[in-house]
Amino acid sequence: MRELILSDITEMGSGLCVIGIEAATENLFRSVRPIPPQGFAWDRAFPHKRGSEVRFTSRPTSVCPPHTEDQNTDGLEASGTCPSEVELVNMLQRAEVSTELEGLFGCELHVDTKGGNAWVDSSQASSSICGCLYRNLRFLVFQDPNRITLRARLVLVSGETLNSLPVVDREWRRFMDEVMERLTRSGGHFDLDRYLNRFIRNKLLQALHGFARIGLARPDNGHKCWLMLDSLFPQPDVSWLDVL
Amino acid sequence: MSLAFDLETALATARACVGSKLSPLPKDGVDLVETGALDSMAWVDTLIGIESATDIRDFGNPWPENRPKSIRTLADMIREAQKPCPDEKPWVGARQQDDSARDTAVGGWGYALGSLVVDAEQIDRNLALPMHKIRDGAGIHSVCLASDTEDELALGQRAAEIALEMTEIPVDQIDFLVTTSATFLGFPSFAASLHSRLLLRDTTAALDVGGACAGLIYSLAVAKSLLRTRPQGVALVVAAEVHSRRFDAPQVPGEFRGLFGDGACAFVLTNAATDAQIGCVRLQEFVWGCSGTFASSLGVKISENAGLNVQFKGEQLAYAAITELERIIATLENLSARPRSEVDYFALHQPNPRVVEVLTEKAKIPLERIPLVSKACGNLGSVTCGASLCQALTSFRMGGSQLRKPLIFMAAVAPGLLWGGVFLN
Repeated sequence: MRELILSDITEMGSGLCVIGIEAATENLFRSVRPIPPQGFAWDRAFPHKRGSEVRFTSRPTSVCPPHTEDQNTDGLEASGTCPSEVELVNMLQRAEVSTELEGLFGCELHVDTKGGNAWVDSSQASSSICGCLYRNLRFLVFQDPNRITLRARLVLVSGETLNSLPVVDREWRRFMDEVMERLTRSGGHFDLDRYLNRFIRNKLLQALHGFARIGLARPDNGHKCWLMLDSLFPQPDVSWLDVL
Repeated sequence: MSLAFDLETALATARACVGSKLSPLPKDGVDLVETGALDSMAWVDTLIGIESATDIRDFGNPWPENRPKSIRTLADMIREAQKPCPDEKPWVGARQQDDSARDTAVGGWGYALGSLVVDAEQIDRNLALPMHKIRDGAGIHSVCLASDTEDELALGQRAAEIALEMTEIPVDQIDFLVTTSATFLGFPSFAASLHSRLLLRDTTAALDVGGACAGLIYSLAVAKSLLRTRPQGVALVVAAEVHSRRFDAPQVPGEFRGLFGDGACAFVLTNAATDAQIGCVRLQEFVWGCSGTFASSLGVKISENAGLNVQFKGEQLAYAAITELERIIATLENLSARPRSEVDYFALHQPNPRVVEVLTEKAKIPLERIPLVSKACGNLGSVTCGASLCQALTSFRMGGSQLRKPLIFMAAVAPGLLWGGVFLN
């Protein structure tokens, strides 16, 4: 059986997409995307959390680039203790990483609209997940009557920027749901932008283990794979809600 | 500045933005999300695309209830956003078109220093200088140097965020970024790099201004001029210098290198509402020039083998700096019609504290009215007078009356001998 440490749990439609890292050599890790026995997405009631150690039996998989990390499984079993968040980031820094945009997926990025999200051509990208350090970030919130969408802007070490990355990280989504609930309860009496882009952003920029994992969505009809913010470290802390 | 849109132009804009996501284009009245033509990610990208194309901030956010997410609604909302907003934020309130409305207010300020503090004796040892050369000769007690993780961008970002925090102006409201740095070499330039680092919006202008130690004053002048083109505009001015890395070369004389520290400063400028910001200091008139007579006293050049050549005539330079700074102070007295005895603070370039002491004696100004940054931090180049101004403004805010604005003279000299000054009130 193969063992993984779950590194990314992201919301994908009505289900979840999960990625873990496994030891590649003594000091390096590689990403593996375990696929459930049926379909692509795991059920929302997924019992494991980020950092959980799990094991699985590999099943034959026909990989469709750039999602070369896909691995069919019969399911995941809990297998060990969880590393701390800092330890997990330390491991992720020894998996796929890049300091610049072109290194993220081994190809050029494209943007359709100024300030909009970026995409890669599915035939050119060589992988679908990569980590990076960030030098700055800001949040954008789009409010619909029915839901809110959280996006992020990141500056990489190279100075290049990623604009309007959809935040699909499950923990950040849950955190935002709680923030919005409190906002509604307060009658809209706090400044959401100020909370996110001052208070929360300061927490992230002051942390010593700031790190992001950028993933690719499955290709759309035009063979575009849109970028997504799969994981953002530090992960949101429930105590950050206390100021609301 | 947002463009005025008629319905056809607005429709064309909406169609172009939707068309970049969707082909063929559906009819104008079709709900793009309801019908599944666009998913939520593509819809948000469409809103961002329209925001960029029209410069309408926060376009479609929040999306109003009961309105279909169609091309037609997008066009209607573009047109609606052109109507004047009756409830503008206080700091972008209605302006009068007289001269007072063109005043430029310093709304926020901040500075950041290299985090490694090295005392004078250690500098002497590091640079093999005679003992007490830096402390007794130059009057410097310590210098602040950048750590391995700090550079012009990191320090500039820190200073800018302090200044922005003070004003509570969000970064996406900044229209102009004006920067100066003599030590940041290469392209993308400092302004472009800092623009990215701060995640300013795409339509924020980014300009680099030269001038070495006088660069900040020149940058403030440029920013003030730019603000005249945009009555509700906001400018962010940043100076940053990391001398320790640039001067870390054997050709650079130790007695020169030992004087310098690393840091950054930032100022947020707005067109001042006439009486809305009592106590908010404003940039008044500038003076500048270049006195070539002293041009040979300091020269720094990149040599053919990419090394650094420094020509440094210490005594001549000190004499030139003192003479020129005093001349600027005299000119500012005339411009402001206020004698130097009435000046609350002098935010000056400080080649070293000893030069400042001589200047105070010669110009008959009290030393305590000069926030003496260089004593503890070293000569910070263009940042020196900026950090000094920050200390003056903070000191006034903490202890002074909010009903009276301080009078501040700012002056700097630079290789060339480039000089500049401004008074604030």
